[in-house]
Amino acid sequence: MKILILERRLVPSDSALAIAVTTALSVLAALLIGGLLMIPFGANPFQAYYQLFEAGFATWRGFGFTLVKAAPLIMVGLATICAWRTGFAYLGFEGCLLIGAAAATWTAMQALPGGFLEDVPFFAFLPVVLMVSMCAGAIWSGIVGLLKSRFGGNEVITSLMMNYIAVFVVQYLVSGPLRAPGDLPQSPRLPQETWLPYLFDGSRAHLGIVIALIASFVVWVLLLKSRIGYELIVTGLNPKAARYGGINVGSRQLLAAFLAGGLAAVAGMVDILGIHHRLVDGLAEGTGFIGIVVALLGGLNPLGCVLAALLYAGLSVGADAMQRQAGLPASVIFIVQSLIILFVLASDLMRYYRVRSRATVVMNTKVESR
Amino acid sequence: MSEGFVFSVFLVAWLSAAARLSIPLLLAALGETFAERSGVLNIGIEGTMLLGAITSYLVTLWSGSPWIGLVAAMFVGLLANVFLAWMYVHVRANQVVVGIIFNILALGITSYSYRLGMGDVAGPQKAEMFEPIAIPVLSSIPVLGPILFHHSILFYLTIALVAVASFVLYRTRFGLQLRAAGENPRAASAAGISIVQMRYCGVLISGAAAATAGAYLVLVQIGLFRETIVAGQGFIALAVVIFGRWDPWKAALAAFVFGAADALQLSLQLYQIGLPPQLLLSIPYIVTIIAMSGMLGKTHQPEALMTSWRRE
Repeated sequence: MKILILERRLVPSDSALAIAVTTALSVLAALLIGGLLMIPFGANPFQAYYQLFEAGFATWRGFGFTLVKAAPLIMVGLATICAWRTGFAYLGFEGCLLIGAAAATWTAMQALPGGFLEDVPFFAFLPVVLMVSMCAGAIWSGIVGLLKSRFGGNEVITSLMMNYIAVFVVQYLVSGPLRAPGDLPQSPRLPQETWLPYLFDGSRAHLGIVIALIASFVVWVLLLKSRIGYELIVTGLNPKAARYGGINVGSRQLLAAFLAGGLAAVAGMVDILGIHHRLVDGLAEGTGFIGIVVALLGGLNPLGCVLAALLYAGLSVGADAMQRQAGLPASVIFIVQSLIILFVLASDLMRYYRVRSRATVVMNTKVESR
Repeated sequence: MSEGFVFSVFLVAWLSAAARLSIPLLLAALGETFAERSGVLNIGIEGTMLLGAITSYLVTLWSGSPWIGLVAAMFVGLLANVFLAWMYVHVRANQVVVGIIFNILALGITSYSYRLGMGDVAGPQKAEMFEPIAIPVLSSIPVLGPILFHHSILFYLTIALVAVASFVLYRTRFGLQLRAAGENPRAASAAGISIVQMRYCGVLISGAAAATAGAYLVLVQIGLFRETIVAGQGFIALAVVIFGRWDPWKAALAAFVFGAADALQLSLQLYQIGLPPQLLLSIPYIVTIIAMSGMLGKTHQPEALMTSWRRE
């Protein structure tokens, strides 16, 4: 007679099959819990999930919204990849996004009548606004990077603190220097020539997603196909070995900080010029943190990050639609989104075990032989 | 009216607000001190505070007693942190990653529970709150009285907790073992201390404390619930712990400084001083960054902080 037993491994199985199976199980478990959470609201979970995926992926209009939401997530995800793979545990993307948004707003305001960018065509304006936002974001994250590489400060706490300061900077800008006349603390509406053009008719998808896709290709080449990327990754894997191999660890960490800040700032620029068309308070709404989740779900790989961002953005768009149509709270989907990644992390534990079938007779002899 | 009188009114208003605003920071920081001393950086206290706030609000509305709300909040905080401790200690996942994602999860759970609990109730409902208690004699001391001796019961309990935390951490066997787990888990384990047990204790204490801090925001400060009620106070508590050098009494001082900065910008906005309020608001964060930057010499954080433990 044969029975199935669980056997503990010394090291977790890292075969592609094991990872795929545990990841799929994690996603299923999260969707299952989400389904259970829908029942008290009197919804049919299967129907709700069907509506959700239809709204996020299957309609042209909905998929456009998905692309709009995915663009900043991809940018923050790429920033996470650059920083974390270099061993720079940066958490200040929310702040970089806000600073990038503020810099983009300021630049676009120069295209108002009387500004020095007045009458500049869009194809010339775009590189300028990209450069300004990226530099602003890079300087912002560079402060933390400099403290880390120069003085050995703890970047986890300092970067979290910088997020709050960035919120105050934006609050100050919209209530003072960049404020438009009127009752609300907000910047003037940006001139239409500076908006990111829409890609298709009947869809809100704008140029931001193209920028994000190009950026992910550039990051892929830079990180995985170039010498600098190699040095960054070695620094992240083992700083001592990197130093021994002749890599200047401090300068590489600083470079990673600049890259991370610059990329996350583009997320802010894309949201300003693509959606809001003006600077307002309360802009980031956690994109800087969801982007980290996206990067982790994508295995800290640029391509995986794009796919994970599309999945997360589609789920968010579907969640909004679900809330409007079925009266289900969108928070169910936020719960599912974060559970997916927590379960993926916890499923590492599952890979410590293997299932074996074994004859009971063998078991008995083993016991007797003790 | 003399200028001296105006100034003393301002001082009393400012510092009593500072004392009130610093309590949730202090509560969360006291708990987090235990987690970090055991070797776990529990960033999840931000989310735990939110869970504590929503639980205390819903349960107090339902039962009519803030005490029941408080106990329920602590229970939920403990439950959530059993999960967190399991992720930190048994799964050995990256502590920063788990904490950040847990905070997003907690926001989802909170807003879901609010919808489920309140349904379509129109308009915000005020929950029963802890009322301020004036301590006889002491509260009638000029200036100091209203600042320190006219607060809710939770205020006095928290101050007492600082002494208890300091005693437990430095004067008991448990405190010694907890600190050993966070300083040198290998040596501690060799001496027969269970690192797993100590870290579970540390995380659970921080969970109960953070949930109480969240309940304080509802039951003492506003009596209502909003999703933005915590707004980063859990993260500030992390800064308070570091600023207080992982020591309960110094954490109390640090929390008061942060509370005072918060209260000052509220007061100064009333007095129409030329400085932008955002500059005042950001002072505590800037101070934290400078303290953490390594420019002022190395802070002596627990040696094994943020490292996962595996028995060899």
